[in-house]
Amino acid sequence: MRVTRGARIVAGTALLALAVAACGGGASPSGDPAADGGDTPVRMELGEPQNLLVPSNTTESEGSELLAAVFEPLVNYDENKQVVEAAAESITTEDNITWTIKLKSGYTWHNGEPLVAQNYVDAWNYAANQDNAQGAGYFFGRVKGYDALNPGEGKEVTTKEMEGLKVVDDSTFTVELAAPFSQFRTMLGYTAFYPLPKAAFGADGKVTNEYGEKPIGQGLFKLDKPYKKGTDQTVDLSVYDKYPAKKPNGWTKLQFKLYNSSETAYNDLQANNVDIHDSLPASAISSAKTALGDRYQDQPDAGIGYIGFPLQYNDEYKDVRMREAISMAIDRKTIAETVFSGTRAPADDFINPAIDGYRQGACAACTYDPGKAKEQYAAANGPAKLELGYNADGGHKEWIEAVANNLRANLGVEVTVRPFEKFANILDDLDAKKYKGMFRMGWAVDYPSAENYLSPIFSTGAIKTGSNYAGYSSKEFDELVAKGDQAESPEEGLKFYQQADDVLIKDLPYVPVYFYRNNSGYSTQVKNVRINLLNQVEWADVEKA
Amino acid sequence: MGRYIIRRLIQAIPVLLGATLFIFAIVFALPGDPIEALAGEKRQDPAITAIIREQYHLNDPLLVQYWYYISGILFHGDFGKTFAGVPVTQLMAGKFQVTLNLAFTALVMEAIIGLLLGLWAALRRGRATDTAILASTLLLISVPTLVTGFVLQLWLGVWLKQVTGIEFFPIAGVGQGLQSYLLPGFVLAGTSIAYLTRLTRTSLVETLRSDYIRTATAKGLSRRRVVGRHGLRNALIPMVTYLGADLGVLMGGAIITETIFNLPGIGLQLYQGVYLREQPIVVGIVTILVLVYIVANLIVDMLYAVLDPRIRYE
Repeated sequence: MRVTRGARIVAGTALLALAVAACGGGASPSGDPAADGGDTPVRMELGEPQNLLVPSNTTESEGSELLAAVFEPLVNYDENKQVVEAAAESITTEDNITWTIKLKSGYTWHNGEPLVAQNYVDAWNYAANQDNAQGAGYFFGRVKGYDALNPGEGKEVTTKEMEGLKVVDDSTFTVELAAPFSQFRTMLGYTAFYPLPKAAFGADGKVTNEYGEKPIGQGLFKLDKPYKKGTDQTVDLSVYDKYPAKKPNGWTKLQFKLYNSSETAYNDLQANNVDIHDSLPASAISSAKTALGDRYQDQPDAGIGYIGFPLQYNDEYKDVRMREAISMAIDRKTIAETVFSGTRAPADDFINPAIDGYRQGACAACTYDPGKAKEQYAAANGPAKLELGYNADGGHKEWIEAVANNLRANLGVEVTVRPFEKFANILDDLDAKKYKGMFRMGWAVDYPSAENYLSPIFSTGAIKTGSNYAGYSSKEFDELVAKGDQAESPEEGLKFYQQADDVLIKDLPYVPVYFYRNNSGYSTQVKNVRINLLNQVEWADVEKA
Repeated sequence: MGRYIIRRLIQAIPVLLGATLFIFAIVFALPGDPIEALAGEKRQDPAITAIIREQYHLNDPLLVQYWYYISGILFHGDFGKTFAGVPVTQLMAGKFQVTLNLAFTALVMEAIIGLLLGLWAALRRGRATDTAILASTLLLISVPTLVTGFVLQLWLGVWLKQVTGIEFFPIAGVGQGLQSYLLPGFVLAGTSIAYLTRLTRTSLVETLRSDYIRTATAKGLSRRRVVGRHGLRNALIPMVTYLGADLGVLMGGAIITETIFNLPGIGLQLYQGVYLREQPIVVGIVTILVLVYIVANLIVDMLYAVLDPRIRYE
């Protein structure tokens, strides 16, 4: 009789579980939003924005994605990676120094005021002023007069305006750069270059907290109510009636749902509780392909991951053959496919495939060749011990360990993997010469131009002010970038940038390891979702299914 | 009794002040510059870093910083701001609401399920029921919250909705009121249910062996009255102690559950606060948690007197 009694217990426990479950059954079902037409929102997954919603203080992806729905950029990027005018009617220059920007008519702010050229000038001057401590201020570094607004630590800012910005009339303004830059047009689609309305500024001339909670834009959507950061789990928006360009067909409401975990958001996507998820977790990729079918999309993303060398601080890495050996010893394909489950692609250039100018297979030393690697390493008299540092907060452990294993196996060296708490700690220790090993490095573009993969990371000037953490300095490279900056057309500029890219491939100040990919999924309730170069959804094209 | 409570609450003041200073000092001692880290993988302009450091008094010595913080609270009721400029009071108000809901859902489930299972096991001591309950509690203890959370979310959240078309258990967020808390509450309570079941069983089994139980039975009292009035009531003291202490754990330690079910509670906020080294958030949350512990302990002590008339506080 023991068996039957056991069975009764199991049944009893199951009943208990059912009783618990039944508590939930009483409440009203949430229902399928597709049933009632245009008034139910299209729901988009988003992580919590880092700061309040002020364009000039938004440099991370989540805040940018939200602001992109609220603001119309001067330019946008089409499917062929080319720049197209959006809020701008035309952007012209004779000499790559003075740029004349004419605005399209018809754009108004969500509070009814017309959009004027002064709104851009105000916003840009505000962003560039160091006293306002705006995270995206550095984007204006090329504009003439930026230095006057950024005299440096502890020094007083004596003016409020950049010399290079001039309003011609209500719909035209000019930007004078400190040095020629052929890619300036490309930069203008980024969040930092959005304008600000008069209403954004308080009596003290600073952007108010109220504005940061409910930004007034001139774009497709306006916020329904202020976003209380840290408390609200959704940000609700509606189509702005007077938006002059293309509006979405058949729906008017957009809702961003804030998630802490992309796994949870993926579960919500499968249950049709969220419609667009543009950062699927690696753990979900294999199941997403079958579960979502053609509602799963995979496209290049503009980010790159590297292994960096402390050229400035450690002579052990001076010999280029040694860096080539390390590069050839890394099995990029296996890392991309196994460690990252296909959310990365093996890197073979310093320019990313999402951007115009990428050349497949450009980096010869990026091909896996353990035999040659070992030979080269011996020829360069590489040290028997290597150190590889990474920041432990960003999910980099696995691939860094994989690279370390590659180096151990293929070069026969001892590799110590060293975790740092945050990326900033690596930089601090490099500066203080407390750390002399290799380090992981990543780059996400600020504006989709090949130039952005070169000058901010590898130019001599970027050692002090930019992200040139290797301390790499090459006259040839600097000159080619400068020629690209001064080129008469973007196409001609690209040629020089590719030559500069060739210099990097020869010198390998960093070793590119992988390109990011964007893995997104959609619910059954939407279709025609296109994600642009800046990882933002083209909302006007999205349709309800 | 009233005087005793007042005395206990006055004793809490130095504890709270000490706790704030201690936590403040710990966060202060963490390595790395929190402002530089805000810029992620780009190097922040040193001038901007300096201006933000100045704004948050980060260049001052520890005690001066602490004075700014504590005087803000005492004289202006101002708990400070996060690096993003959000007032900590606004942040905490919303998050504590969520965490309180979650912790109480878990505590109620834990008390009811744990007590009933423990009672059942104790009364069927040594038999199959007992063994099955003990085995299932062992399972609950050994499976980590991370696993139960994701598995239950997938089964009861995703699959159940896909099969029936009705959303019994919301997968994420707190949009559906109490319903949103049932599943996370159960996941959070999981191990506590198991411990409480075992505690109840052991405590009750021991009590039921006492002389006075034999006397009560011999007197001819009904079994229900013997177990309920004489057995359970006497066995309750360790369980009440456990529940009281557990409230604090459930409130501050729900990071995993809050992450899986996307609940904007203080566990996750505390983690982010420590990670970003935002002292006002960490100290504010921990101080309130200390207060919760103190009050919960006081209530537990009061309950002792209710359960056992021999205990008196004067």
